[in-house]
Amino acid sequence: MLKEFTKGIFKENPIFIIVLGLCPALGVSSKLINAIGMGAGVIFVLLGSNIFVSLLKNFIPNKVRIPAYVVIIASFVTLVEMVMQAYLPSLFESLGVFVPLIVVNCLILGRAEAFANKNSITASIFDALGMGIGFTLSLMLIALFREVLGAGTITIMAIGNFDGVIKIPGIYNAPARVFGLSAGALLVMGYLKAFFNWYSSRKKVS
Amino acid sequence: MRNILKISGKLALICAVAAIALAFVNQITAPKIEAYNKEKLIQALSAVSKNYNISEICIPVYAGESGTDLEFSSVNEYYTLTGNGILAGYILSVTANGYGGPMDMIIGYEKNGEVIQARLLKNAETPGLGKEAEKSEYMEVFLSKGASDPIPLKKNQLPPERADAISGATITFSGVAKALYSGSEFVKTQLTDSKK
Repeated sequence: MLKEFTKGIFKENPIFIIVLGLCPALGVSSKLINAIGMGAGVIFVLLGSNIFVSLLKNFIPNKVRIPAYVVIIASFVTLVEMVMQAYLPSLFESLGVFVPLIVVNCLILGRAEAFANKNSITASIFDALGMGIGFTLSLMLIALFREVLGAGTITIMAIGNFDGVIKIPGIYNAPARVFGLSAGALLVMGYLKAFFNWYSSRKKVS
Repeated sequence: MRNILKISGKLALICAVAAIALAFVNQITAPKIEAYNKEKLIQALSAVSKNYNISEICIPVYAGESGTDLEFSSVNEYYTLTGNGILAGYILSVTANGYGGPMDMIIGYEKNGEVIQARLLKNAETPGLGKEAEKSEYMEVFLSKGASDPIPLKKNQLPPERADAISGATITFSGVAKALYSGSEFVKTQLTDSKK
């Protein structure tokens, strides 16, 4: 069981190894707080969809499995959106726009198709948690690079008087704005992937 | 044949269960969401009204001869502002065009079309870029513009330190600026002039 959990974080990391869910990942990684928010949304929806797909794996006819998964995922996302809007309006304000993006996150459909419809519920739960956390951590790493280089700030939760923005002296006054824009997202992503490839190949040799 | 019926029946069942679950949750959350949005609107209205009193709410009747004037079709409704019992300005509820589709804005104007204050309400802009327009500092470049000073519509009309802040969200900026501009024109040509 533990293997299902850790594989999503390292060996089968959704962003850097199996390269799933890149569009939302690159789209929202301009600030650290956005990456955390997107990650939380993905973990929740992935958990819900994996549980239900795994529960219904014998009920869903093979020929229409993809439409069935899409219905389940879309319902979950809509549910999350409505509940968040009603009970956590301030959170919805900052993250609301990511929630519909989760529907088109191929990571969720990918896990339903590749894992949850073949495995038990407990395994699917661990898979969802591992993949979700791996996705969140990778997103946070990209966002950290992009925000520090592109804006010279690190934005986390605002608590009390602290507005959540840490300004980094030196870079804040002269940031390389390209990292905050879409080209910078691809650059950072490419270099990080190259780094992880180099790292894992080096390990194999030794 | 029977197989196809069975498959589509199962898919329809899944859809039906999903629809019922969503309808049930919507029933519970919809009133809460509506109340929250109303509160947001009231907050925005008081933020853009200076110290004037908000009086009646009006649906615009266009002075143009054809009945509706397309140029101002983005103005949904307006409120009149009074100070000491005299008409002092207007608050317009405007739909602007942003990067992520329509954006709702509430803009307060003096009688002469000068922007008092503006707020961006419901929108689907990109967080970190266009979404920054929700902050009150974003609207600073537009304040007291519209009468003698023109409203800046392009990036090169802004002071350089402000122009940098809208890089990457130019479409949002021009949507906001256009809405402010056409609102100001609406106040000048349709409201103030016609009441002279």
